Amino acid sequence: MTTSAFLLEATGIRKSFGATSVLRGVDLRIAPGEIHALLGGNGAGKSTLIRIASGSLRRDAGSLSILDDGPHPIAVVFQELALLPHLSVAENIYLPRLRQGFVPVRAADRRKEARAALAQIDERLAREALDRPVAEIDLHERQLIEIARALGSGARLLFLDEPTANLTFAESERLFAILRRLAGQGISTLLVSHRMKEIRAVADVCTILRDGRTVVDRQPLATLDDASIVEAMGQKAASRAAPGPSTPCSAGSRPGAGTTVGIEGQGLSLTLEPGTILGLAGAPAGPGQLIDALVGAAPDSDWNVTMNGAAADLRSPARAVRQGIGYVSGDRAEKGLLTTLPILDNVVAATRVATRRWLARRPEATVAGDALARLAIKANSVDDSPLTLSGGTQQKLLLARWLEIPPRVLVLEEPTRGVDIGTKREIYALIREMAVLGTVVVWWSTEFPELIEICDRVIAFDLRGEVSGVIAGAQVNEVALARATGMAA
Amino acid sequence: MTDTIAGAPVQAPPVRPRRAGAGTRLLRVYRTEIAIAAAIVLIELVVSLWSPQALSFGNLANVAQASAPLILVSLGVFLVIATSGIDLSVGSTFSLTGMVAGLGLSAGLSWPVACLASLGVGIGVGAINGALVTFVGLAPFVVTLVTFAVGASLAFVVTDGHSIAILDPDFWRLNGGTLVPGVVNYVLFCIAGVALLEFALRKLVLGRWVYAIGSNAKAARLLGIPVDAVRFGVYVASGLFASFSSLMSLSYISNSEATSGANLMLQAIAACVIGGASLFGGTGSAIGAMLGAVMITVIQNGVNLIGINSFWQGSVTGLVILVAVLIDRFTKARA
Repeated sequence: MTTSAFLLEATGIRKSFGATSVLRGVDLRIAPGEIHALLGGNGAGKSTLIRIASGSLRRDAGSLSILDDGPHPIAVVFQELALLPHLSVAENIYLPRLRQGFVPVRAADRRKEARAALAQIDERLAREALDRPVAEIDLHERQLIEIARALGSGARLLFLDEPTANLTFAESERLFAILRRLAGQGISTLLVSHRMKEIRAVADVCTILRDGRTVVDRQPLATLDDASIVEAMGQKAASRAAPGPSTPCSAGSRPGAGTTVGIEGQGLSLTLEPGTILGLAGAPAGPGQLIDALVGAAPDSDWNVTMNGAAADLRSPARAVRQGIGYVSGDRAEKGLLTTLPILDNVVAATRVATRRWLARRPEATVAGDALARLAIKANSVDDSPLTLSGGTQQKLLLARWLEIPPRVLVLEEPTRGVDIGTKREIYALIREMAVLGTVVVWWSTEFPELIEICDRVIAFDLRGEVSGVIAGAQVNEVALARATGMAA
Repeated sequence: MTDTIAGAPVQAPPVRPRRAGAGTRLLRVYRTEIAIAAAIVLIELVVSLWSPQALSFGNLANVAQASAPLILVSLGVFLVIATSGIDLSVGSTFSLTGMVAGLGLSAGLSWPVACLASLGVGIGVGAINGALVTFVGLAPFVVTLVTFAVGASLAFVVTDGHSIAILDPDFWRLNGGTLVPGVVNYVLFCIAGVALLEFALRKLVLGRWVYAIGSNAKAARLLGIPVDAVRFGVYVASGLFASFSSLMSLSYISNSEATSGANLMLQAIAACVIGGASLFGGTGSAIGAMLGAVMITVIQNGVNLIGINSFWQGSVTGLVILVAVLIDRFTKARA
């Protein structure tokens, strides 16, 4: 190969997992000293590309050349921080470089090197934090330590995947200032982020992936406007798809009298008629607080919720469930499944709480079986473990919890995360069905197309977690959401 | 309802998954327990090759009597383990509550009153464990290690280390009497305890909550399950079982010693693990814990009968635990 001017040059990268082809010809070129944004919707192939480029995954085809002048030219700064909490900052920075076990550490020298690496990032941190255990360091500064560790190992190119997901606005600004300074020293950053405003503020160029292909190849961000980025990502900038039966239906078609729900807080006061589907859009901080308040996980929240005009008592999840608030999270493993219990218990758990039932009666199996049938969940038996089901089916199982006694409010937290498109459609259909029956749905999603397709109204939160607007009906579209939230899908 | 929403077929033909018959379900749910029961029978048969009296009524009654206290302690420990907690304090609670009952009896209390006092102490220790774990948020291992140490020392303190001979002429009835004609009490209480607990764990919502909390405490909380109350409750139950077990044992041995429960903690945890409980919580059964306790006793009895030096008992028990866990591991991997 001819010597290229690029730090990293990948062309025609392909990768399949089994029958699913994830990358089908991706190009990525990163020059020294640039901040490069990698954009794409969920499932576009960003993470796979990063894993291939950083060497943790083998490619099926394509060429990858790295301008190599060191043992570790590329470093991935992980989303889940990969530091050793009980060791000191200095040890964390130098330990990964020591590859031989039976040689003296010579800690004083190593510490000096670590200090130099950290000083490149932040003088004050290098002065004050070097000998403290990582566990005592603020979360956002740990990320800086990870970057220092990468630099200490001789990295020329940093991969940052959603680095600001857990940062405040000021902390993000500080990180970006550092990245820009490093760029001035020839160190490049590949930045994966959904936050359009941030990307515009910090990145020079961008590459956009769609369905495993590069659709925009290393173009200066200045030449692209928001609408064309959204379009390139394949998330039609068009407004709502067919209105469908989701529009709040007439009272006549609703059998049970639904509940009117009021949500107040942050200077906002919304009244949701029965059957409303309310979207929440934005970075996790804002929607997260409202969701916690609704499900009784944040008793001291500033959000006030009323039901049919009366204040709802949401001081604990049990109270929330008994007042008819259902909750499904996309984080199945942590907040959803009872993995050691059979499907039966998983389905009827909420009803047992809501009805204060004390006996596990036999008819529960029939009810649970019917719920599975309604959701077309293919289980051999309600006595099987939920782990015998696929991820998407497990997600449907969590929704099945709320079928027997339809909740007055159904709170959804990214319910389609990591779910295939067919299952997504089924979940949308189910949610609409519940809305038609009078349930108020509150739905946080990071996928704008979902919100656009399904929601009647959307509360947008900005990157600081504050309400930045309420978008209603036909005004719900990609560009409006991107503007209000500062996120690109 | 034939309309399609956003292009997706809404109504798939509703087919409720078939459920196996009640018998098949029981066989499936209790397959670990059935395997252990079979293993216990097998061990007895093998031992009887060396020592034919292994299968005599007298020896089997011995095994039952010897396993009763361990079974009762294991039931309480199982409840805690099922919620993904641990109770290391049961052994010293056993010793301490035995000493309390002995003191009460030697002070002239009638035996039912002395028993109530002893049970009260057991409940108290459990409540301390439960409160520190649930409401203060300390790690169960640490909390119960503390109460283990304190309890073991208090068992010596209350009598200055002396053992107490039980002179009450009627106290033996607690263990050896026949509340129900034809069934000696230690068998009755074990069977009743296991049956009630198993029913509660399978059929009461409260029992399902125990498993749910051990399975995923965060999800359980979000489902509105009263996680704190249940957690507190299982530690109290564990203390209660330990003290009741101690009374049964005391009623049989008629002598209260400060070290009576010394081996019980490890044996009870072992019984639960042999019986199919995971220390991560959410699995196992009361029947399994009972069978685990019986198996440990059967092995000890077998080692004695065959005439192996009793110093080997621990090694054999240890290997059996390892085998049980390995079998569990590999059968689960295939399922």
